[in-house]
Amino acid sequence: MDNFGLMLLGMSCITFACRFLFFCKKRPFELGEKTKLALSYTAPSVLTAMWVPIVFLSYQHIEQSFFESPFLIAGLLSIILSLKLKSTLLIVVISIMVFITLQLLY
Amino acid sequence: MLDITPVSKNTTNTANKRIMYQAFIDILPLAMAVIPWGILCGSLAIKVGLSAVQAQLMSLLVFAGSAQLASLTLIGAVGALSSIFSSTFVISSRHLLYSAVFREHVRESSMLTRCCMAFFLTDEMFAVSCAYLEKNKSFSHLYAISAGVVFYLIWNVATFIGIVAGQFIPNIENLGLEFAIAATFIAIVIPSIKRFSTLMSVLASGISVCVLSITGIDHALIIATCIGMATGFLTASKDKSNG
Repeated sequence: MDNFGLMLLGMSCITFACRFLFFCKKRPFELGEKTKLALSYTAPSVLTAMWVPIVFLSYQHIEQSFFESPFLIAGLLSIILSLKLKSTLLIVVISIMVFITLQLLY
Repeated sequence: MLDITPVSKNTTNTANKRIMYQAFIDILPLAMAVIPWGILCGSLAIKVGLSAVQAQLMSLLVFAGSAQLASLTLIGAVGALSSIFSSTFVISSRHLLYSAVFREHVRESSMLTRCCMAFFLTDEMFAVSCAYLEKNKSFSHLYAISAGVVFYLIWNVATFIGIVAGQFIPNIENLGLEFAIAATFIAIVIPSIKRFSTLMSVLASGISVCVLSITGIDHALIIATCIGMATGFLTASKDKSNG
């Protein structure tokens, strides 16, 4: 990429600025209650916007039917596990093992 | 006085070591889960045409997994730079909230401490530091930064593995590494749904990202995130009536 340096600099500055802004001695601006409320939905929204296509749309890339996709089956399993188990690591490990097994089976 | 000083210094040292050890233990499972993601990031960077050094620099300097992955899919597209910057901002904007939450514990610290706290601030570091604060009733910069550094090192080693593997293993991106990301995010998001409005924001974001992706609209991630945030915000008034 031609503008890689610019891209790297820009991205580094944006991510660092978002993390540092409220660590300034002088508060740059006040986050109102409404802004805080809106921002509290950012993490669940952005993470969901990333995992949903992997679980529900990956079947398009692997030439498998929707219901037989390992992504869908193992993804639904990890949703169920997340409701039952407390340990994040356990959820992730079990789901990945099931996913690998399914991939080997097909 | 002379007798006490070394003793108290030793005690502080031991206490510090214990805090650092605790941080390591707490962040480790989350850092393990990020390894496949780092590998994917490294190999994908090579695939879209970055050099090995450029790919590693991204993880070293930007240090934001979701923003990095999103930008890699945008590289090469028309008007890439502005889309990359805007998606980086939308994805990173959740860190504004984290930094606002930590503000009261950090604002009196030295510039160096504040810079370190900011640089190593991630979803995972925020999560374990909040748990530590709740448990011990006091905030520890040492704990937060130690957890952040461990996470940083593992993230960069994973990226490096991805860069190397991406050059030697063809089609590494077809191995399904991204499933590890999905599983991690599911394990973070689902237990965090404690309010009706959070459930609505997750559903809105999930449904809209599918619709947008299938119809082939650009910036599906950003638009879906904004729809999710707006839905959560607008349904927040329903939370109280639903208990």
